[in-house]
Amino acid sequence: MTPVPPSTVGSVPIWKAAFFSTCHASARDVLAGRERPFTAPAYGLLVGRARRFTSLVTQMHVEVCGALQPEAQRALGVFATCHGEIQTCERLIADFRDASMVSSARFALSVHNTPSGVYAVATGSTAPTTTITGANALAAGWLEASLIALEADRPVLLSIADEPVPPVFCGPTEPVGFAAAFLIGAAPGAADPGGTAELTIVACGDDPEANRPVDALRALAHAADAWARRAPATIALGPIQPGARLELRVWPGPPRVQEARA
Amino acid sequence: MTTECAITAAALANCLGTDSRTVLDRAFAGDDAFSPASAFCELPFSTMLGVMPGIEAHRGLRATDRDRDVDALDCIPTRLAMAALPSVRQLRPAVRAAVDRWGAHRVAYVFASSTGGLEETERALAPDPRLPLASARYRYSDHAIDATSQAIARHLGADGVAIAISTACSSSFHALAAALRLIDRGLADAAVVGSADSLCRTTVFGFHGLGLTAPTATRPFARDRAGITLGVGSAYAVVERDAPDTRRRALAWVAGIGAASDAFHHTSPHPDGLGGQLCMRQALDRAGMSPDAIDCISAHGTGTKLNDAAEAAAVRQVFGRRVPLTATKSLTGHTLGSAGLTALVLTVESLRRQAIPATLRATPLDDALGVEVVDRRTAAELRHVLVNAFGFGGSNVSVVVSRPDTRPS
Repeated sequence: MTPVPPSTVGSVPIWKAAFFSTCHASARDVLAGRERPFTAPAYGLLVGRARRFTSLVTQMHVEVCGALQPEAQRALGVFATCHGEIQTCERLIADFRDASMVSSARFALSVHNTPSGVYAVATGSTAPTTTITGANALAAGWLEASLIALEADRPVLLSIADEPVPPVFCGPTEPVGFAAAFLIGAAPGAADPGGTAELTIVACGDDPEANRPVDALRALAHAADAWARRAPATIALGPIQPGARLELRVWPGPPRVQEARA
Repeated sequence: MTTECAITAAALANCLGTDSRTVLDRAFAGDDAFSPASAFCELPFSTMLGVMPGIEAHRGLRATDRDRDVDALDCIPTRLAMAALPSVRQLRPAVRAAVDRWGAHRVAYVFASSTGGLEETERALAPDPRLPLASARYRYSDHAIDATSQAIARHLGADGVAIAISTACSSSFHALAAALRLIDRGLADAAVVGSADSLCRTTVFGFHGLGLTAPTATRPFARDRAGITLGVGSAYAVVERDAPDTRRRALAWVAGIGAASDAFHHTSPHPDGLGGQLCMRQALDRAGMSPDAIDCISAHGTGTKLNDAAEAAAVRQVFGRRVPLTATKSLTGHTLGSAGLTALVLTVESLRRQAIPATLRATPLDDALGVEVVDRRTAAELRHVLVNAFGFGGSNVSVVVSRPDTRPS
């Protein structure tokens, strides 16, 4: 395989950030290893049926996106999730196995873009949204959001969330549900960006360890905490192509002028 | 998006056939390829399906009995992989040429699917006694879109940035937009945009539960239309950055893409097609075109009462005139995450043939919709065609596709 040359994707301001974990009170607690009993999101944006029928992953997406209102109201949306509506899928197939029937409400909410659709209805935003999925959703989500932010004249709302995968799937056993959202790109009206996100594609050769998905909970907690504390950080976001991974550098303040021009 | 991008190769497979030539010839001949769902699975209701020929051919075969392409995919032969493979097989020479031209790590791979590997999971957790059990190798990654998409990227030798996108029935157009952004920002020179979706019983039951499946073959924009005919399919395209050599090989240009949300309801469209209006206007703006420049619309056209009415309302609002409109889901079935790219590949062929494929079974038309539905193959001067893909979550995307000779030299 030809080595992948390093490539800077670009630098975009981060205007706001929010973090949620079912087992940690804050991003800081994730990094410090302090856990709390399972706590559901408050999902204040959701009412009625939307509150009753939505899954944990949708509620967590809406929770962190809600924390970025009102600045995020008209933002372009990039939602990212490795597993999507995996708990809804499990219930859907269990219903089908046990009763040969499928709940239409459950089926309707089983698509990967359920969170973005529910969010759009809850906020009345007609802004476009896309949904990135797969094992590298954390890296690919950041990449897609940054690329959109670099061409758009309004801010981009990047929301990343995943819920625990039910045991029947024989998949990842991470018991924590978590979400983080970042408002990046063009100014949403706020005067001062709290920080800058710079993304770089870094060669990592054929090292299988370097090409593995990263611990998304810790990576997101690290990014959100760095923004909150206005502290510089460099975070591996995981593989983005064979032999290369995406790295996120967070630093306090706006993008440097020469980088903003690039 | 500021960089011009050309579509330089395309392939598709669906109920009309597993090679592009057959699919396109049958589509433009107006062949009807749907079959009763009972041939596919046991259902307590009637509906038709568009099932890809041979989709089950590799079920239960030992690895040594499968063809080399299946094993070269290096993943479980899920129905998703089998749906993708015919298109992948056809596109491989063009991807190899793009790799030779630009370098493997400069060719991105963006894959789209709505249901991903749900069928494999259903076979593992809720098996149909008439079908072989899920592979003993079943693992979580086969449920997700990953295993298949990564295996295909490896198989094609596209070592560039890899992204998977899932936004229900607009998935493949969001994938196309992502691919163009990668090229626009210099992270790739070419991209393989692929989409595939396979059917499973959960999906068929789910659409039926929502009252969206038609008991007989779908009849988009007809007065007594009754719903969707679901289908299995895949569609792939190679898009490349503008260069003198690219211009010589261009089948068509992607002139503009627009996207918007309905912000109305998760599965029902905004009655005025608000999101559809917004994304069509944005696609036209980005193409630098007025609505008058569009010669034909390839509608999302699912054949449900509400979807067709909302899309027609949006078309009336944006165009203010009767533009010829065709609904190719009457030919291919609704291939979900692959629907947009399927319609786009048919549109590329429309531009080449200078002909609009028929919307089957559209008569008697629903005159109240006020749109100009093409109900038989029609010769036409086609320079620019607008293609729609709308989906659950109120996700709407439109793409303007242009004939190669329309781009300024």
